[in-house]
Formats: sequence, structure tokens, C-alpha cells
Amino acid sequence: MELGQHISQRYNEELEDIRNKVLKMGGIVESHSENAIKSLLTRDTALAKSVIGSDTIVDLMEVDIDDDCIQMIARRQPAAGDLRLVFAVGKVITDLERIGDEAGKIASYAKKLAKKKAVGGMHAELTHLSELALQLLHDTLDAFARLDDQQAVTIITQSAKINQEFNSLSRLLITHMMEDTRNIKNVLRITWCARSLERIANYSVNISEHIVYLVKGKDIRHANIDDVLSEYFNDENHQLEL
Amino acid sequence: MSISEKSTSTQKIQAGLKRRYAKEKRFRLYGIISLIISFAFLLVLLTTIVSKGLPAFQQTYIKIDVTLDQADLGIDKNASEDELFSAPYSKTVNNSLKAMFPGVHGRKQKRALKNLVSKSAAYELRDKVIQDPSILGTTQTFWFLAKDDVDVFMKGGIDRKLPESERRIKDYQLAWIDQLIKEDRLEKRFNTVLFTAGDSREPEQAGMKGAIIGSLLTMLVTILLSFPIAVATAAYLEEFAPQNNRWVDLIEININNLAAVPSIVFGLLGLAVYINIFGIPRSTPLVGGLVLTLMTLPTIIIASRAAIKSVPPSIKEAAIGLGASPVQVLFQHTLPLAMPGILTGTIIGMAQALGETAPLLMIGMVAFVSDIPGGIFDPSTVMPVQIYLWSDSPERAFTERTSAAIMILLGFLVLMNLIAITLRKRFEKKW
Amino acid sequence: MSNSSIEKNMANAEKPETRDEFNVEIDGTVGSPFVDNPKMSSRNCDVFYADKQAIFNVNLDIAKHEIIAMIGPSGCGKSTYLRVLNRMNDTIPICRVTGEHTLDGEDIYAKNQDPVLLRARVGMVFQKPNPFPKSIYDNVAYGARLHGLAANRSELDDLVEASLIKAGLFKEVKDDLLKPGTGLSGGQQQRLCIARAIAVDPEVILMDEPTSALDPIATALIEELMDELKANYTIAIVTHSMQQAARVSQRTAYFHMGHLVEVNDTKTVFTNPEHKLTENYITGRFG
Repeated sequence: MELGQHISQRYNEELEDIRNKVLKMGGIVESHSENAIKSLLTRDTALAKSVIGSDTIVDLMEVDIDDDCIQMIARRQPAAGDLRLVFAVGKVITDLERIGDEAGKIASYAKKLAKKKAVGGMHAELTHLSELALQLLHDTLDAFARLDDQQAVTIITQSAKINQEFNSLSRLLITHMMEDTRNIKNVLRITWCARSLERIANYSVNISEHIVYLVKGKDIRHANIDDVLSEYFNDENHQLEL
Repeated sequence: MSISEKSTSTQKIQAGLKRRYAKEKRFRLYGIISLIISFAFLLVLLTTIVSKGLPAFQQTYIKIDVTLDQADLGIDKNASEDELFSAPYSKTVNNSLKAMFPGVHGRKQKRALKNLVSKSAAYELRDKVIQDPSILGTTQTFWFLAKDDVDVFMKGGIDRKLPESERRIKDYQLAWIDQLIKEDRLEKRFNTVLFTAGDSREPEQAGMKGAIIGSLLTMLVTILLSFPIAVATAAYLEEFAPQNNRWVDLIEININNLAAVPSIVFGLLGLAVYINIFGIPRSTPLVGGLVLTLMTLPTIIIASRAAIKSVPPSIKEAAIGLGASPVQVLFQHTLPLAMPGILTGTIIGMAQALGETAPLLMIGMVAFVSDIPGGIFDPSTVMPVQIYLWSDSPERAFTERTSAAIMILLGFLVLMNLIAITLRKRFEKKW
Repeated sequence: MSNSSIEKNMANAEKPETRDEFNVEIDGTVGSPFVDNPKMSSRNCDVFYADKQAIFNVNLDIAKHEIIAMIGPSGCGKSTYLRVLNRMNDTIPICRVTGEHTLDGEDIYAKNQDPVLLRARVGMVFQKPNPFPKSIYDNVAYGARLHGLAANRSELDDLVEASLIKAGLFKEVKDDLLKPGTGLSGGQQQRLCIARAIAVDPEVILMDEPTSALDPIATALIEELMDELKANYTIAIVTHSMQQAARVSQRTAYFHMGHLVEVNDTKTVFTNPEHKLTENYITGRFG
């Protein structure tokens, strides 16, 4: 999607402003997620505390960007692409704010788990799941910045993978719970962290759906993934790993 | 705000303001001066005409006791119509005068006595006898028109104090007049003759009726011909003619130029074409109207075109959009809205035509016509020509009548203007 | 907080550039310019003013009982095209119209087609309200009298009243029918012009920027009126206001420099237009 120049310079600047704010919010949320996971895996309490403390920034940004969107609608009556942008932004920041909340949850579990013995064996799986989730988030934000709907669709196809990973990690954690009943509380906490990671990944997939709507004008939420894929990739150069 | 606080632009404007106001004041002064001068001239003109012409609206009458001696007249009550008509009434009038002033002798004095009363007295007496033959053999008192010299004297036109050799009225005539005044036999009445009689050699018998009717008939012919032709031409040129067409442009240029042609040329045209080629009788309102039509056509066409052009196109578009044909748009919308302007042009044209003399002279209306024209084929004269003829006559009494005729002509112009303005107001109200 | 990732994201973000949008190729009309059983249709429409071509190969159908809006920048030919539909361009000598244009399948430019009859079936409302300098009654009755639609005075009275009611003006003027039409306010005058057009019982009403000279309230009243009218008439409206086109029409046609670029459902045109030029115009990126 290409953005030309508006005749009204102010209008241009206002749209740019909103996009930049969303990107900034995305960046903050991404770094919160990274830090939260890092604090969990390295048992860094101070880092965890800082993540929890900075969650309000994300909330304030959500309110601020929502206000900008309302102003844009009231004053500029955007149409076509601009309208889809404003509408999509409203939804994207909701998802970003929720990602921020999940990061905060991970950080608070990390704080609690830091005092206890490391839960052996799960470190590797958790790391793998967290890398997946963070990669997804990063790629989504990147796709939003470049308004790249192809990348967004690719991300959407990854959602199945995330679920598989999470399910296998769940099974592992249940096994741990059954083996060592004294540690159930901690294992549960770890399970909830995994759940948050899964949610972060799912919110990223949501954001990618909004990106497709923004760019293409097609609402693919709740659509059949095969139909979406067939539209995007009908030659062999774009075979995906599913 | 002091000057120093204002912007440079404001300061510049302020600097120039005094000069501009001064200029404006001077301009207004020039305007007022021109207006005053114009009004002064107008006032002088009107005062001159009115002061000269007012006396003409009164005429002196003489009361005479007439003895209708049947022996003198040679008729009696039972005489036939013809006999009554051809009896020598003027002799009776003379005899009655002689009876009033016995002691008049000498041919000069006797003739002067006869000239106290107008020649029309005899005809008036005849009409009275025909009306009522029973008055024959009796003595009746009649008021007759006085001769023009008596009339002029009564209006102060002849100075008593001049030596007799320089006066038109001699001393013996003065004595008669004084006696008549003493006996209350001289009276000034409203001059109906001015409006009821045609032209005449005798001033006291001369009237405008012929000229007025002639003018009216000529105007009628002019307006009936020029108005439709001019409006149709203007409508065609504005609405239907192809644009940028060489022939149409040629026609337009010629129409505009015709407005500047000297009016006497139209008279020549009338003489050559209407009278010589078409054989229309000369000096009739028909040919006069035809000539004047040619003269007023350009004026009305030019005014009508401007009026039609000024009709807002949005109205025409609305009518066309509703399904009106071009001719319907013309008659139902364009012309009614252009009417005020068209009527203005018509007023100007008609006023011009009413006062035109030169072309009508060429077609023969300069002849002395005493009969009242009955229709457009009868020889007639028009008011401006009548004025010209009267101003040319030597008799003293015609001076005041000329001015009176001018006043009547002006009165007609004002009347025509009022009619046209009323019509125009009625059309303008619709907006 | 990692500033580098934020900066990295922003560095990757698409920057708006000025592009030369004017030279995009227009190759045919995108969207759905044709419908089944159209009320009016045009094929291969070209319009010339002397040697200058104003409309290039327009192909468009107008469906029955729809409101179709024609939008586009100034001078793009939308008003010219509208006037093709009721042969108003006939009044301009240097204007030449080619192509096939039909009303209910009949060629409206045929030699034996009477433009007067056509204009009774295809009415027009203009940008500046132009009531005749007559009474309100005479304004509405004019068309009916012209075409002989009422047999007597009482029929005419009924027709005038019905037209004024349909135009939403009757209540305001019912006691003042003999007052001059030019004495009404701008919005009322325009509704009077609409009543005048309706009184001839047309099948199609063409509106050339009908509310551009009116205030917002009058505009809203007339837009409301249009919605009611479409039940009985087919309406084609040319408008400068995209919001108006979005509010009132079912289909929208975008004209650009004499070409018909896109015709689509209004919803599609204003949320996801097919052609780049349409998108640019609607979002205010040029024109």
C-alpha cells in the first residue's frame, strides 16, 4: 500500500502522528515482553519490577491514541484507506495493550518464581516458546510498520504452530505436576506464564489480521485460512512451513 | 490608536485619504453645478414658452345684437335647406355692427368696423339659423369671435401710448373698443377653437385639432408597425440567429448604423420609394408612419436586444429543463422579463418620432391642410409641422398660438411617458 | 525500554512520498458500471466543445429507482455528462454529443425523438435555485400547464398541492401559494424547484449540485427528500461533496478529466475503492 501526500499538510502530519505513536507503543510493548521473559528466565527481580511499573505508560498511550483517532474521525471524515487505517489502529492498540498486560503478568510471576528453585527441564521449552512468541510479535510490528500484508498473512499461518508448542509444553508441565506434587504451585505459575506467551502470540496474529484489513480492505477475521492462503500464494515459490 | 501604532499599509492609506476626499468633493460639486445649469436652461425654456403660450388659451368674444331681417336675407321660416345655407349672413352681421356704431363713414372706417368681428361670425350665424329658423325676423344677441387684432389688443399686445402711425389699431378703432368694453360687450373666454378647429389663415379661427389627430394617427401607424418588427428582430438576433455568421453580423452592424442616419434621409427614402414607387398618397399618416417606423426601428431594436440579453439564463434553463420549446421560452419568460427595457426603448423611439419634422416635410406634410383627417389615407399634418407653419406666419396672433402649440406637444410627450412608465412599472412588479 | 527497537520500527515504516499522481493510466472503467434493465444507459459517449473533447468514451448504466452520485474534481465532466442525459447540451451550439444514449431502451438522440418530450420525462434541478418570477402556485403549475397535464383548475390545484407535499414544502407555504416564489429562502426555493420538476411527473430526476448553494440544514432536508423520492423516481446527482455522495447514493461514479474511472456500490467506493485515482480523490490526496 502506498501513501501519497494529502493536499492538507496538517492532515498528513496527523495521520503520520498516529502511525508513529502506534509504532512507538508497539516498540514499548515489545521491549516489555522481552524484559518480562528475560526476568523469568534469568530470575531477575529488579527487571521484573521495572516491567510491572512501566505498564501504566502503555495504558496511557492506548488512551491517547484512541483520542487521536476520534479526533481524526470527527475533524477529517477520513475515507477509504485512511478510514481503514484509523479503524484498524483502534483495534491494534487494544491488542497491544493486552500484550502489555500479559507481559506484566509474566513479570509478576517471574518475581514470585525468582525466589524458588528453578524448575528444571522447563527452561528449554519455555525459552523456545518465548522465542516463538517474541518473534511473532516482532514480525507483526515490522509488518505494520511496512504495511506488508504478505508478511501479515505469513504470520497468521503460524498461529497453528504456536498452539502446538503450547499444548506440548502444557503436557510437559502437567507431567511435572504429577511427578512432584510439592511444586504444583510453581509449576502452575509457569503454566500461566506459558499461557500468557500463547496469548501474546495470538494477539500478534490478531494484529496481523487487522493489517490485512488495513492494506487490502478485506476482513479476514474468522475467515477460512485456506481461502486466504489460496488468494495469496498460488505459486510454489511461496510454500510455507506449516 | 495613534498613527505610529498602525501598520505601514494603514499609514499609506491614511496619507492619501485627504486628497481623495477633496477629489470626491470637487467631483460632486461639478455634478451639482451641471445639474443646476441644466435645470436653469430648462426653467428658462419652459418659462419662456409658457409665458408666451398661456394667453393663447383665451379668446376674445364680442356681443352683438343681430337683427335677422328677412328682407335682407331673402329667406323666411319656410325656406329650404339650401336657401338657408346660402343666405348672405355676413351682410346681416355688418348691418348689425353699423347699427351699433352709427356715424361711421368712409370706406376705410367701414372696413375697419367690419374687421372688428371674425369672418367666422357669418358661419356661426348661419349655423344658428339652420338650427332654429324661427329666430328669423327677430333680434338676437350673439357672442361672436373677435378678430385677431382686437384679441391681440385685449391681451395687451398693442400699446395705446404709441403714436397712431405706428399702431395697427387706429384711434377710431380704439374708440369703438373702449365703447364696447364700457358696454360689457367684450369678454375673454377659454379658447376652445384651439382644440376644435383645424388650421386656418385667420389666427382667431386656427386650431390644433387637425395636427393633433394627424399626429395621433401617424403615431398609431408607427407604433403598430415598429414595435412588433423591432421586438421580433431583436428576439431573433439574440435567441435564434446563428452565432459568428457573416450575414448576421452584417445585419447587426447595419442596424446599429441606422440609428445614426440623419432623419431627413428617411424623408428622402419615403419620397422616393413610398410615394413615387408604391404610389401611396403623399402627406398622409400612412406614409408618415411608414417613414417614422424606419427611423424608430433601430432605437427599439438596440434597446430590446440589451433587455433580452439581460434576462438571466438560469430562468431560461429552468424553462427548457421543464420541456418548454424555444419559442415558448421566448414568449413566456424572456419577453415578459425584458419588457421594462423594451418599453424604455419604445418610449425613447416614440418621443423622438413625435417630435420629428424634417422627414415629414419631405413627404409633403408641409402643405396647408385645414380639414381634420378622418383616417390614415387622408392628407394631414402633424404637431411639429403645424408649429413650424404657425411660427412662419406673419400675423401677430400666431406668436402666442405657436407657443401654445408647443405646450400642447410637450403635454402629449409627458402623457406618453406617463403611460409607458405605468406599463413598465406593472411589468417590473413581477420581479 | 529499548529505544533501538522503536527506532528500528520507525525506520522501517513507510514514509509518504510525493508522487506524480496525474499521469496514472485510465484504461476503461473499473467496478460495475452496467446493470440489468437499466433506466438510462450510455455507450461510447464522447462530448466535444468545438475542438476540445470534454468526455471520453463513457459507458454507464443507471438502474431504476436508484440514486447514483457522480463525483470528481472540478472540470472533470460530470455536469457535462449529466446534461447529456436530458439533451440540455442541445442549447449550446458548439457542443457535440456522440454515442448511444437510451431511456428505457429507446435512443434519446434519435432524429425523431422530441427533446421537449424527453425533458418532460427526465427533469432537472440546478445548482442555483431558479424559481420563475411568478407566484409559488404558478411556478409549480408551469410545467403542468405547458404540457396540458391538468384538465381543469381543480385538477391543477390537486397537482400543485401533491407536488409541494412530495417536495416537503407544502406545510410551510400552504397559506402563501400566491406569494412570489422568489420571496422564499434559499432552501425553500430549491425545494420549490424540485416540486416544479416533480409536477411534470418525470421518470428520472437529474440534480446538478442541488445543495451547493444552501446551508447545512436546508441541505439535510433535501437529502432526506431525495431518499423519499427514490421510491418513485430514478435520481442522478452530481455533487462536489463526497460526504453527500456517501450519504445519499447507492452507487457512485468517479469522473476524472473526462474519463469515467470507477463505478461501484457507494459502500465499496468509500471504504475500499478499486482504482488508485478514486482512492486518491476520496482521501483528498489530490484533485
